[in-house]
Order: sequence, then C-alpha cells, then structure tokens
Amino acid sequence: MSSASVASIAVEGGDLSLGEGLLAIIRPALDLMEPGGVIAVLSCSRQTEEDLSTWCRIERHEFLGCEEISEGKFRHLIRRGSLSVPKGERETALNLPLRDGMLTAADVLAAVPMPERADPATGFAPRGARAEPGGPSFPYTLTERDTVAPPQIAELYDQAVGAQWDATRDIAWDKIRPLPAALETALGQMMTFLAENELSALYLPSKFISQIHPAYAEVAMFLATQLADEARHIDVFLKRARVKGGLGISSATSSRSLLSLLVLTDFTEAAFLLSVLGEGTFLDLLKFIERHAPDEPTFDLARRARADETRHVHFGLAHVRHALAHDDSLYSRLESSVRRRAATLHNVGGVPSAIQDALTILAARGSDPPSVRRGHESFRELLHTMHENRVKRLESAGFTREQAETLSRLHTPNFM
Amino acid sequence: MSDDTILVGAVAYDPKVVTIWEGIRAYFQDQGVRMDFALYSNYERQVESLLRGHIDIAWNTPLAHVLVQQRTSNQSLSLGMRDSDQDFRSKILVRRDAGIKSLSDLEGKTLAVGSRDSTQARILPLHFLRQESVDLDKVNLLAFDTDVGKHGDTGTSEIDVLSALHDGRAQAGAVGDLIWVLEQSAGRIDANVIEVLWTTPPFDHCMFDALPSLAAEKAERFKKALFAMDWNDPRHRHILELEGLKQWMPPREEGYETLRDALRQHGAAR
Repeated sequence: MSSASVASIAVEGGDLSLGEGLLAIIRPALDLMEPGGVIAVLSCSRQTEEDLSTWCRIERHEFLGCEEISEGKFRHLIRRGSLSVPKGERETALNLPLRDGMLTAADVLAAVPMPERADPATGFAPRGARAEPGGPSFPYTLTERDTVAPPQIAELYDQAVGAQWDATRDIAWDKIRPLPAALETALGQMMTFLAENELSALYLPSKFISQIHPAYAEVAMFLATQLADEARHIDVFLKRARVKGGLGISSATSSRSLLSLLVLTDFTEAAFLLSVLGEGTFLDLLKFIERHAPDEPTFDLARRARADETRHVHFGLAHVRHALAHDDSLYSRLESSVRRRAATLHNVGGVPSAIQDALTILAARGSDPPSVRRGHESFRELLHTMHENRVKRLESAGFTREQAETLSRLHTPNFM
Repeated sequence: MSDDTILVGAVAYDPKVVTIWEGIRAYFQDQGVRMDFALYSNYERQVESLLRGHIDIAWNTPLAHVLVQQRTSNQSLSLGMRDSDQDFRSKILVRRDAGIKSLSDLEGKTLAVGSRDSTQARILPLHFLRQESVDLDKVNLLAFDTDVGKHGDTGTSEIDVLSALHDGRAQAGAVGDLIWVLEQSAGRIDANVIEVLWTTPPFDHCMFDALPSLAAEKAERFKKALFAMDWNDPRHRHILELEGLKQWMPPREEGYETLRDALRQHGAAR
C-alpha cells in the first residue's frame, strides 16, 4: 500500500460482503471523490479484500490495499478511477422558497436557471443532474435557450396548471334547451369549426415537444398544458354541438389553411403563426361567441376556452418577442413565412362560407331578415376587430405598425 | 478486396458478437483503418484458420492463445488484451452448510465445475487445486459441459455452477472472479448460502494473436486504432460495454504461465 495515500473519507462496511449490499455504501462514497481521490472502507468481512480488488479491476478504480487496523478489523483504500465521472457541479440544497406552502415551477427555475446552450448527449437528464459521459446523442434540434425558452415560461406553466378545468363536470349541460332550427344548425357549424381548428392546435405543438432539449423542459411542460387545453376544447365544442343537434361541415378552405400550419417545421415560425396570429384571432372569435351565445352553458364554455387561449397567445408573444430580441434575421423570416403561407392560400377567397353564415345567424339569433341584417353587420365588425387586434399583437411582438398592417392582412381568412 | 484490409477472426459465442464486430469495424473505418471480421463457431476452427493464414488476427481465449503459441513454437505475435483480461482469478465457492473449512475438506464432496474448455471455471481451478495437494480423484466433479468449443465465453457453465450451489446439487463450485463479483453486485447471490472458500492465484485471459508473418505495418495500424478507443466517447462506449472492458491494454505473457503448465501436465481437459 502506498503510504502517501490518505483517504479523504472513511465509510463503515461492517461485516457486509459485496453480495450483501456493501457496494451501496462504497459507490456513493466514491461518487463524492474527484478522480484520484481516495476513500477508506472499514470492514470486518473476510471476503471483502479480494472481492473489492476484483470489483476495482472491473470498474477501473485502483485498489490500494488493505491493512488490519485492529483485531479482525480492516481498512481498504480505494482510489477513484477516471472513467464514468459525471460532468457538472453536484446540486446541493437549493433552499427553494415556499409561498403559502406552495412550491412554484417559477421559483424552481429561478434556483436552477436554464443554460444558454444544451448538450444533446445529456439525453433525458433533468437540468441540474450530472450526466455520466458516454451516453448517446439525442436528436434534439432546439438546444439554445434564446430560441426556445422565453424567461416567463415557468410562470406561464404555473398559471396553466392552476387553470385546468373539466369539460364533463364544469359546464351546466343540463341548462341547454332546444334552439330554433336555424340557430341550432349555426351553433353546430360553429362548434364543428372550432373543434377542427383546435385539432390543428393540438397536433402542431406536439410535433416540437420531442425536439426541445430537456434543459428547457418547462417549455415542453407548458406545451403539454396547451395540448391538454386543446383536448378539452375539442371535447367541449363537440359536446355542445351534440347535446341537442349535430356537427356541421368541414370546409376545404379550412383544411387547406390548417394543413399549411401543420407542415411547419420551425418552432418559432409555428409559435408565431399558430399562437400569435391564429389563436390571437381566435380570442376575438370566442369573444364574439360569448357575446352572442344563445344560452349560459355556451357562454361559459366559450369564456373558459378564451381564458386558456389567452395563455397560449401570451406564450406565443413571449416566445416570439424573446427570439426577436436575440436574432435580427427573425423579422424577415417570420414575415416571409406569413407571405409563403398566404401564397399557398391565395385563391381560397374569404372566410369559409359555412362559417360566415353560422356567425351571421348566431349574431342574429335567428333567420328573420331584419335580424340577419344585424347579424351580418356584427360579422363585418368582427372581421374588423380581428384585424385591429392582430395589428396590436404584432406591434407588441416587435413589428412596426406598417409591417403589422401588412402581415395582418395576409393572415388566413380561416382565422387559424 | 485490396490487401491492406485487416481480417480479424472472432468466435460467435452470442448474437451480440455480430453487433460488437460491426461496431468495431465501423470504428476502425472512422479511424481510416480497413478492417473486416470473420466469425467462427468454435475456437479450434479459428486457431486452425489463423495458422493456415486465412485470417490476419484472431481474438482468442487464453486456451486458444496458448495453443497458438505452442503451434508456432512461441513465434506468434500478441497484439493486445482487455483491461478485464488481466489478473483474473478463480473462486472456489462452498455452501455454508457443507462443513467445508479447508481445501482438503473438498474430498468426498461434490464440486461443480464449468465446461472442459473453460479456463476460469475448469482448467485452472482444478490445476491450482492439484497444486494445493487436493486429490481430485476423491472429489466428485459435477461438470457442466455447456457450449464446448466456446472456451467458457458464454459464462453459461459458470451460471450453472452457481445454480447447482444455490440448490444444493453441489457443495462446492469453481467460477471466475468476474462472474462472482458481477453476480454479487447484481444481487443474484444469496450470501446466506454461498461463501468463498479459496481464491486462486492470478492469471490472464483473452488476447489478440497473429502469425509472425503479419506485416509489421498492419499490426501497428491495428494496435493504434484499438488502443485509441475511449470509454468516455459515446461512439465507442457501446462496443466496449458489450465486449466487457473499459480500456484495451498492451499484451503481457507472464499471465499465461500457469495455463501452459496445466496443459503440459494434464492436457486440455479432465
């Protein structure tokens, strides 16, 4: 044994052999050592010396030897080898703050900040865990903080988790009465359209979750709440249509518009087109349905859906604003993606006719001509409001008034 | 195919051998070294192929390594081995309830041993026991001659020895220390039933062998690429884990002396 070897820590192995769990004491002790660091294992097991020596050979630690320190009591010295040493600092007690007994994701993020860049070879290791080298590289493409994670992402996640509701129990389904036929048809059509669009909002973000490096897991977790929201919306809209009526039609215009969303491959472009422009426009649509809802349950479900969509729009805006602040070329990229999409939809005409009619009848609350005139006026106002609010959102994302005007006019007539 | 491809022989003792050698071949190609492999079903055929010049290099068990040296009058080239091949030992294990306190107590008892061509579970433990003056004629050997031709690579016969000890078909058994420690750390050994009676002196295990006629430049290319494999590199890690090593080591010969003695005195098997 090298007399120069001084153990930094000693562990008591008692009479345990390797087959009785001794390694569960030795391995954590070695893990505290840097390569080259020495631990002492105190033991009174006869088999220990030879088995430890073999184990060290297998694991490429150095077994420095054994000495009897008193009658039947031995001290084995092990020098930690240089293989399989996890990278990074060991995480110790973070003293996370409790707020009224609650622990928020935002406070955890503040204590364990996201790295600027993330290494695909750390796999699914949670941020803060030390990753053993030698693991495979994962196919993440979103590995830079500033293109994936806006600073307020954990707050958005906390809000989203706290705001979940239940499409089975939280709507007063028993208060729904039969509507006049024209109104029932219009409502069924609207609900069909909403569910169809929400399906696209379920599918598109899900494409990106597996591309996000787990160092930015809060983004994936927020998207998971967004997916749960969309699932619930699909559920609640279809239920509303079916309580007393049935579904309407799905237009080819909607289909073409939604396909042009689904094929997006860039996360920021998708957040911009789906959440800022599409879901942003949907806020006004849902507000319109609230205002003209034929009954309280319909008002309630539109209001609840709008509250959820507002979070998605906040995420989209926060994401795009943060990305724009870190990448000058992004303005023109986003602009050209809106133009590209508009070009693929250039001959689709206006709002799908079935939706125009449904919105008109809904606002008219019936189909007598004077009411329909009023309803049509409301529909035209809606289009105007949608445009005005889109411009505001685009300006808030960082575009100039002029750019915002142009982009808003290029937005799909399908709303989403 | 051009002559500068290095052809390595290996024995396919398990389907993973294909994965290992496909991986090593891809790694050698990345290093700019053309290498291919040929798989054999047993070490005897592989040794014959090496001697006839069908392959450049053979990845050999200790028994095959020593046989190649004998057949080439010690002129063969040793190119490299695993870290885990050095300082191997065998364990003589006993059941705690068998009343075996010393090696001489083995006489009259049943000793489970591995395949007749397993260096660590048969040839050397029995050789060392003879050296310790155990009269093997008085020991009832329970032999598990599984996977003969694979020279103990599969570890099947060692697992058989451990089962026989656990269920009482044998009072004692011989296995390699690698299996003994790995099975213990995997939680598959009942320490209330089995304990170590004796540990043999050390010996070395597998080796890359070549004929003396192998071009020096080929041997150098092979060694250079082999020794550059890195445990912490994810591209190499998988292969090294499958092949059961963390680092390739330069060859050393003294670790085979006892095996040479054993073969001289008793032939390849009892």
